[in-house]
Amino acid sequence: MPESISSEATIRESLKRCPEATIKAAIEFRQTRDPSLLPVIVMGVIERFIEPDVRPLLREGDAGLRLVDDLGVDSLLMVEIVMLIEEVLELSIDNEELRNIRTIGDIQTFLDAKVRGVPLPDNQNLLRLESILAIMPQQPPFLFLQEARVNGESIEGTYRISGDEPFLEGHFKGDPVFPGSLMLEALGQLAVLYLLRNVAPTIPGGIDPGKVYFVSCDGVRCHRVCRPPETLQLVIKLKKLHAPIAQFEGWIYSQGVKVAKVEELGLAFQQPQQQEAAPAEPATVV
Amino acid sequence: MGMVTCLGHDPKTVADNLANMRHGIRLWESLAMAQSPVKVAAPLPHYKTDSKDPEDWEFPEKVKLRLEQLRALSPHGLYALHAMADAIADAGLQKHEISNPRTGLFTASPGSVRQVHHHLDRMLRAGPMRCSPLGIIASIAGTLSFNLAAFHQIQGSSSGFVSACASSGHALGFACDELMLGRQDRMFVVGAEDFTLENILPFAAMRVLSLSTDPDRASRPFDRNRDGFVGTGGAVVLVLERASVAHARGAEIYGYMDGWGQSTDGYHVAASHPEGEGLLRAMKIALAAAGKTVEDVDYINAHATSTQHGDASECRALKALLAGHKHLAISSTKGLTGHALSLSSIMETAFCLLAMKHGFLPGSAGIEEIDPIAEDLPIITTTREGHPRTILSNSSGFGGANVSIVLSPASQA
Repeated sequence: MPESISSEATIRESLKRCPEATIKAAIEFRQTRDPSLLPVIVMGVIERFIEPDVRPLLREGDAGLRLVDDLGVDSLLMVEIVMLIEEVLELSIDNEELRNIRTIGDIQTFLDAKVRGVPLPDNQNLLRLESILAIMPQQPPFLFLQEARVNGESIEGTYRISGDEPFLEGHFKGDPVFPGSLMLEALGQLAVLYLLRNVAPTIPGGIDPGKVYFVSCDGVRCHRVCRPPETLQLVIKLKKLHAPIAQFEGWIYSQGVKVAKVEELGLAFQQPQQQEAAPAEPATVV
Repeated sequence: MGMVTCLGHDPKTVADNLANMRHGIRLWESLAMAQSPVKVAAPLPHYKTDSKDPEDWEFPEKVKLRLEQLRALSPHGLYALHAMADAIADAGLQKHEISNPRTGLFTASPGSVRQVHHHLDRMLRAGPMRCSPLGIIASIAGTLSFNLAAFHQIQGSSSGFVSACASSGHALGFACDELMLGRQDRMFVVGAEDFTLENILPFAAMRVLSLSTDPDRASRPFDRNRDGFVGTGGAVVLVLERASVAHARGAEIYGYMDGWGQSTDGYHVAASHPEGEGLLRAMKIALAAAGKTVEDVDYINAHATSTQHGDASECRALKALLAGHKHLAISSTKGLTGHALSLSSIMETAFCLLAMKHGFLPGSAGIEEIDPIAEDLPIITTTREGHPRTILSNSSGFGGANVSIVLSPASQA
């Protein structure tokens, strides 16, 4: 069939610097439109555009890898990647649809939904780093959350151990291990996020974001150590709310395996103080 | 200075080839494939930029680029980044001396006709949303400035010059003014041209390219039987500094740019004025600006490209300027390099500086039988030893644009 030959040749030409597996998957995709081929195609296209030094990172297959921060993809390269994917998959993607794409996992989810013709997962409860930064009193370099998703009475968050954290130089000498105490901290921060985002609006007067403090924990177990570049998957569930105390339980997973657990984590919070009005003064133009 | 030319990529090799009159002209395989009556060109050693896809290009290993940088370039942008890095190293400049409000960048290039065509062709076939977002940056006139200014974080003046074969002369001239007016302390001046089939072959339609199949007898300015120019490309970067700045930092100086002159023929869209009136005016203005007279001039690097009309016109201008003076020497180094279009003026200015530094006057290659119109002129057909005190370097471009540049050696001024 001359037509399929020419389309195969076109795909090969378009994907000429991508891995062979990607080219084969793309050719098969054109005939079958099988969504299970998408990861190989998309990873191969991304790999072709990123610098050789970050390619091994991509091959580890971590869905939490961020295009800009971890892979060095700038906005123009992103356009090139999208164009090539559009061309190969015979799709068209609007700029608007790209707005929420930050990670490799986002791309996979997005394309999967697009090819299957199903709506995208609802992103209303998804909190990106920008939103987390705006809500939290904790800030870098002491913020151990990058993304979170609220799910009823629980919240899930992720933190990718980049290896650039300064404390890893000393913890331990020559052997970077993410400290167990900071795993607890990360869970605590996720609990703070839940408290400020989901609990505060239900309390008359709200919660003062600068006045949430850790008070207790119980039943803490760490099952194994975590090292860069693992991504911690954190889960926090509200157990009891009795102002001014909130109690949570939490778990941490990495690569699908449970690495830590807290049976009880307590936070104390305060309501904002009423501001007294400042004395009246004449206005000046400066 | 930094250079990517058909005579080599470092000042020493280039000076050696100039002094020994080893030309860079070859039978070029890309022309053998095309339905082209033109067979010779002057390629750039260690470069292969025939493909429209930058990721296919071959270039020296020391030129290190990230993918998004490479994809923002046309061939001449690549050569220019190479020459710029070499010029910075040669001038001994540190990062803070490059990126500051008193250091500027003037460039000369016509853009990349091939890459413009490539991107537009894709746009028309695949639609605008399926085109490289860097297509414009990589190809339009201005691409040199965009890329070099960003790459080196230039903060001073930056501008581009498009006056065909006089372009890099204008860039040098206005950069010189920028320093003399005290607006800047240091200027990078860059001239570059793609070395591609698409950049050279369109001139065949004007019947101005040499049809010779013998690389040794193709580019022959001032020869009676010259039949057109030989195409080349490349990039040259010169670093201009205010004298006080150069002296204060103990820079090694190639020479002084004493002044420049420009004029326009007001005559024809492509051909130069038959009597060379415009070029004569440019040379007179340049000498006056430098406070010199024709008696001071020891060497003139002619524009002469090896076309019948252009060389004859320049001969008339030179005769009028010299008015019988025979003490000086004239040559066209295009006999060795062919014609580098927008790049030629700054490339030949660099050649003149090398000639002053190494104490020689480069011969005019390719002359078997001097054209009668050039017989009275002191054209040298072989390289001579000598220490020129003042040099004029001429360039002319389409539309009748003329630039003449006055140079003198480091040891004298």
